[in-house]
Amino acid sequence: MEKRLGEFQAAGVRPVAISVDAPAVSRNLADKAGYSFPILSDPDAAVIRRYHLLHAGGGPDEQDIARPAEFLVDSSKIVRWSNFTEDVRVRARADEMLAAARQLR
Amino acid sequence: MSDATEHRKNLAPWWGLLFAVGAVGCNAAFFARPPLQGALPWLSLLFAVLALVFLAAGLQRAFGRTQVYRGKGLSVVLTVIALFPLGLTAFAFVKARELPSATAAPQVGQRVPDFTLSDTSGKTVSLDQLLAPAGSASTSQSQAQAPKAVLLIFYRGYW
Repeated sequence: MEKRLGEFQAAGVRPVAISVDAPAVSRNLADKAGYSFPILSDPDAAVIRRYHLLHAGGGPDEQDIARPAEFLVDSSKIVRWSNFTEDVRVRARADEMLAAARQLR
Repeated sequence: MSDATEHRKNLAPWWGLLFAVGAVGCNAAFFARPPLQGALPWLSLLFAVLALVFLAAGLQRAFGRTQVYRGKGLSVVLTVIALFPLGLTAFAFVKARELPSATAAPQVGQRVPDFTLSDTSGKTVSLDQLLAPAGSASTSQSQAQAPKAVLLIFYRGYW
């Protein structure tokens, strides 16, 4: 993802990650992995719930977390592309997301 | 001819173990995000089924056709060893797919809900800011004009 960041920017797309992790946890991840795109924190899963992506009890200690999902949202906040995996091991590849990003006009 | 040369080698349990290791090994392949990763869960299942077929055949040979094959003990040992990767494979397959449906989530053509959340430095960022030219949003990227789109990536979190 980070490696392809320039390509996303060239396609006019700004990647943003969202999870229930606290900002400190995400900062740690960003530092270690060298991520420079924004990572947002939704600790009580309020936004995740609003997006109907709640995986109740899916985390450690039955914590409510997000099910994995990716959306390409245009400037009118309309979904132009989305991906909902059925298997947590299978996630959208940067290639697929870039292809969708480049089709935007 | 002696007894030893008449007995054939029972390779089936070895194949069983190999497929069992391959089945659990598929889980490691996900980290590389290979192009056909969507097929990996099914490949791991296929390997697991093949492992079971070979292990069953191995046991059947060792115990049912003792005139042709030997190695009862070895076939049992290999089968027991193979059960660990097979158990892991089955567990991973079931756990990884225990996901709630996303049918109620915003679909293509629908408008997404607004949000305001904290970034890693504790600063609040809204969807509107993310869609605005860089500078107003919290990001180290230098995007002079407003992005065409944002790519929202919801993930399970790290623990």
